[in-house]
Amino acid sequence: MTNEFSLLMLWGTVVGVDMASVGQVMISRPLVAGTVAGMILGDPISGGTVGMVLELFALDVLPVGSARYPDYGLGAVAAATAAAGAPGVFGLGVAIAVGLVVAYAGEIGVVMIRRANSRDVRRHRDDLDAGRLRTVRGIHYRGLLRDVVRSSVVTLFGLGLAVAAYRWTPGTRLGALLMTLVLIGTSLGAATSGIFRMVGKTNIVRWFGLGIILGILFVVIVQ
Amino acid sequence: MKPLTATWFRSLLVQASFNYDRMIAVGAAWAIQPLLRSLPKDRYHEAMRRSTQFFNAHPYLVGMAMSAVARTEQDGLSGDMVRRLRHALISPLGSVGDKLIWAGLIPFSVGVGLTVGALLSPIAGMIVFLVLYNAAHFALRTWALREGWRQGRAVARALTAKGIQRGMRIAGPLGGLVVGFAIPVVGGWLAREFTLHQKLGIGMVGVLALAFAQWILPSFRGIRFGLVVAAVAFVVGWAV
Repeated sequence: MTNEFSLLMLWGTVVGVDMASVGQVMISRPLVAGTVAGMILGDPISGGTVGMVLELFALDVLPVGSARYPDYGLGAVAAATAAAGAPGVFGLGVAIAVGLVVAYAGEIGVVMIRRANSRDVRRHRDDLDAGRLRTVRGIHYRGLLRDVVRSSVVTLFGLGLAVAAYRWTPGTRLGALLMTLVLIGTSLGAATSGIFRMVGKTNIVRWFGLGIILGILFVVIVQ
Repeated sequence: MKPLTATWFRSLLVQASFNYDRMIAVGAAWAIQPLLRSLPKDRYHEAMRRSTQFFNAHPYLVGMAMSAVARTEQDGLSGDMVRRLRHALISPLGSVGDKLIWAGLIPFSVGVGLTVGALLSPIAGMIVFLVLYNAAHFALRTWALREGWRQGRAVARALTAKGIQRGMRIAGPLGGLVVGFAIPVVGGWLAREFTLHQKLGIGMVGVLALAFAQWILPSFRGIRFGLVVAAVAFVVGWAV
């Protein structure tokens, strides 16, 4: 239990900083973050499943400039924890809801550290304008440290919420089932609208539409 | 470690000090520093001074701007020229990066990952996604840094190169096609254990979520819509 907790904390922190600060090798995508968290807990299928649902939500995000967006990677770590060992589809909805709450907390955290970075920059404006390497390095390392702290704190919050949700789920089976249905539906709608927003009115919409038609045909014929 | 290699590694952390005042300027100044180290002291300080001013670019292509700027500093061009080059690169690098990565590579690799995840297993989907994405990601980062260093102030040529232009033409449609295919496949897989009525319910909520995001109330989309409907579902389930 302690090992799993430590590994999840470590994984959550790495996932959190990957989103923007370090590497962006996309281990912060929910598909990856959720599956690995599930593997840590011995239930990669549940972790992967919630990761895939949150991945659909994440397609609604266009991370350009100073846009603010939910941290679905940290959401997936918490969701995978809530889903691990939960009773089938009943646990899925509650786990996704936990993931969304944590993703939103992660978003607030990102805004907070960016504001703190801005204050840091303003406080050292003169040294920065003079091009002092020590100042540049200091601001940069403090920014990185802030993101490490944010990722750890949000992970801890997520794990706490996941444990609380896991204990409370069995008493409300109908609510959990309804949550599963509406959140799967919402994720599909979010992914579709995200792609629409991303491609605007370009000819890519036609390719997207063709993909959807082919996908539906595949589901009907093959599955 | 060679200066160009050091800048490549540092470019991986370029957004760590992102802020609303100068965007990624501090991170970019920290990353470009190894390439400026060999300048005479007075020119080094001048170059560092310029590097800390407002700057933003797509994180994967930022290496191109940094190495091109460092090359022009090394070539001894005037401060004004360097400043103008730096500013001139902000929009094109952002635009190319958005088209190639956010509208192309991400939907494509996520679409493939999700499809493989639904048809084989989430672990297989995750591995395929990471390999596909990062092969292109690291190739782009490396090419951008090298090309900026090679071209210097003529770096705009690299952005109009045939490969990049072709990539931008193909990336969007391919990403759209693949992710479009993935959405119903994943939807079908997620709903496999539900009854027909429940599947219809999922479809209706999906259409409602899309309608809210596109036409009814665009600010009430994705996570916000999800949290509200989840709360409603919970209350209804608890009350019934």
